[in-house]
Amino acid sequence: MHATVMTATLSGVEALPVEVQADVTSGLPMFSIVGLGDTAVQEARERVRSAIRASGLEFPNARVIINLAPAPLRKHGTGFDLPIALAILVATRQIPTAVVQRVAAVGELSLDGSVRSVPGVLAHAYAAARNDLALLGPSCILPAASAVGGVRYRVVNHIRSLLTEGDYTIAPDASLASDATSVPDLADVAGQESAKRALEVAAAGGHNLLLVGPPGSGKTMLARRLCGILPPLSHDERLETALVHSVAGISEEAVLAGRRPFRSPHHSSSVGGLVGGGAPCRPGEVSLAHNGVLFLDELPEFGPAALQSLRQPLEDGTVTLVRVEGRVTYPARFSLIAAMNPCPCGYLGDSERMCRCSEAAQSRYVSRIGGPLLDRIDMQLRVDRIDPQQIMEAGDTESSVIVARRVAAAREFALEHNRTFAAPGSRLFSEYAIQPLARRTIESYCRTMHLSGRAVTKLARVARTIADIELTDTVSQDHVYEAIRFRLDVS
Amino acid sequence: MAPTQWELQLSSPDYPQALRDTPDPPKTLHGFGDVSLLGPSLAVVGSRRATPYGIACTRRFAGWAAAHGITIVSGAAIGCDLQAHQAALDADGRTVAVLGCGADVDYPRRAREVLSRLRTDHAVVAEAPWGCQPQRWTFTRRNRIIAGLASAVLVVEAGLPSGTFSTADFALAAGREVLAVPGSILSPECRGSNRLISQGATPITDESELREALISCGLSPFTDQNECLFDPSSPGGGPLLRALRADAMRPDDLARALKQDVVTLGRNLAALEADGLVVRYRDGRYGVA
Repeated sequence: MHATVMTATLSGVEALPVEVQADVTSGLPMFSIVGLGDTAVQEARERVRSAIRASGLEFPNARVIINLAPAPLRKHGTGFDLPIALAILVATRQIPTAVVQRVAAVGELSLDGSVRSVPGVLAHAYAAARNDLALLGPSCILPAASAVGGVRYRVVNHIRSLLTEGDYTIAPDASLASDATSVPDLADVAGQESAKRALEVAAAGGHNLLLVGPPGSGKTMLARRLCGILPPLSHDERLETALVHSVAGISEEAVLAGRRPFRSPHHSSSVGGLVGGGAPCRPGEVSLAHNGVLFLDELPEFGPAALQSLRQPLEDGTVTLVRVEGRVTYPARFSLIAAMNPCPCGYLGDSERMCRCSEAAQSRYVSRIGGPLLDRIDMQLRVDRIDPQQIMEAGDTESSVIVARRVAAAREFALEHNRTFAAPGSRLFSEYAIQPLARRTIESYCRTMHLSGRAVTKLARVARTIADIELTDTVSQDHVYEAIRFRLDVS
Repeated sequence: MAPTQWELQLSSPDYPQALRDTPDPPKTLHGFGDVSLLGPSLAVVGSRRATPYGIACTRRFAGWAAAHGITIVSGAAIGCDLQAHQAALDADGRTVAVLGCGADVDYPRRAREVLSRLRTDHAVVAEAPWGCQPQRWTFTRRNRIIAGLASAVLVVEAGLPSGTFSTADFALAAGREVLAVPGSILSPECRGSNRLISQGATPITDESELREALISCGLSPFTDQNECLFDPSSPGGGPLLRALRADAMRPDDLARALKQDVVTLGRNLAALEADGLVVRYRDGRYGVA
């Protein structure tokens, strides 16, 4: 007796179709799973056996072979439990074949037969839609199916409910709710006007930003408010990002509601933790921050390998990992916002406390970041602790909503002009419509400050963004001057 | 417009009082231009073989003082003297040249243009009669008039011995304050000015010291907000520089102090930075360069 059930295994953010074939024949009772499954797949045998029995069904007292095709593809995870159980039950004619026809099943089984959720259901929903299959799984497939839209699905919470042919629901075309939960507001920050402006410019142009300041100056507080002034995720962006979150087993609810992800990995994070890795491969923080903000607090405290691993994602917007099981690519287009102390003790330039670091210690501290990474950061700003008195006296400041409106307008303006942020140096000035006077200012400034060609590009880019915020076609000298203020000078 | 020409006798009411009080005042002053300029003033003198350092210092201090309403007196010689006049002209200030030859004689040749501007709009004076050609000894005599006219003498660069050093000697004899810009101990051009400091002259290393020194000898530099001269193109440059000269500050604090919004202020700061007038310190504050 023979049966086939469709399912899928995750590779990167994709679910690759896998056929679960069951063959139940007479012979010495045994149960084996072939087809390059990992330990979790092998352990499915125990869960499936117990779950079938606990549901009052019969586990065949025969020779049971499960093959996961295509056999050369490595498979991992517990999502195979449900399709394996289904295949056995169909092969032993305990449930009708119609239940599994044109269906992709996914789900982990408890020993009592209930179906548990697994990571990556959004990817499964995509695969099902692409292959024109209905999706069968635990209740967590519901939001996934409605996000993808147009997918037929059936929720099973227990394998007993599979005894009958159930009804499939067609998810309505994706209509995504908007985010009602509040994000930290810029209006909560007293003073720090320069920093707020820097955040606005960074948000409008998608510039990476480095905040330098002593402990307690509000770097983290400011960084957390960047998401609030970015425009909400577009429909496509939501799905892209939610897919990564889903695959990583993190709730994708907030992302689907349009909230940009804000990831702040601790500085002890490994390379794998940052860019992804492990077996099976999991997306790292850079991918979880896709279309959102990656905040690296205490930048120089990160390991050198971890910091250098950020270069590829910052450049390409993707991370490609090569592992035994093959190549995996995760999306990783994020805004980097980094924070650091000016020196090891943290108090260089503080208004109250003396810095106790030697000059050598200071420059060693900064040099840990490394030039190549700094090259990919467009803007820098010094942030300082503000007087308690000022906190009390600070009047009403602009709320995130108002700043977000300007940011959105600037982004739209840039888009209308087909601005590419990767304009090569030679065409930079014409592409960005930089006025001759402004251009001379950039040139003479870079000459007197001995700045590199890359610095010229950064200045021009930031100046262009500032002009975009003002919705002006050409970049004037004033815009350049403001860009100069955000020039990077740690190094 | 032809320059007005005058002769002042020692007894004349227009004869500058400060000069009259010196041990050896000239009997007659011949001159062109505005007699009223012969009042309280700062003499800026220095070497004829001025180094770039000397020229930079002269321009900086003479320019600053002139911009703050102080009349600059000097000797129209090549080098520091001529730069002092030029800086005062550039700053739209007032300046007086004291010549060792006749007041109507263009000497040195290179000073011809400056002198003709001075004769019409400012003042040129000399002890020597009209048309008198320069002689070696007339210049030392001239130096005592420079010291006598001014309330204080700022020596920028002086070798040893030199005419500039003699001006300082006359100033001390006339009871004038002597200010000196310190220079390298290795440079022979600075030996005289450094010697003056070790003998008790007031060292001048920046504008705030100059301001204090001027006030202590009875001159009153403007304290208004009108200091855009350092950066006429940016309206915020004036008060901004003033604030920064007092103390290095953070942009946010500056914006609050000057009641400007942080974007405008930041742009002005960057403009001054691009012009090399202010620098950004490693701790994020801005200060004058």
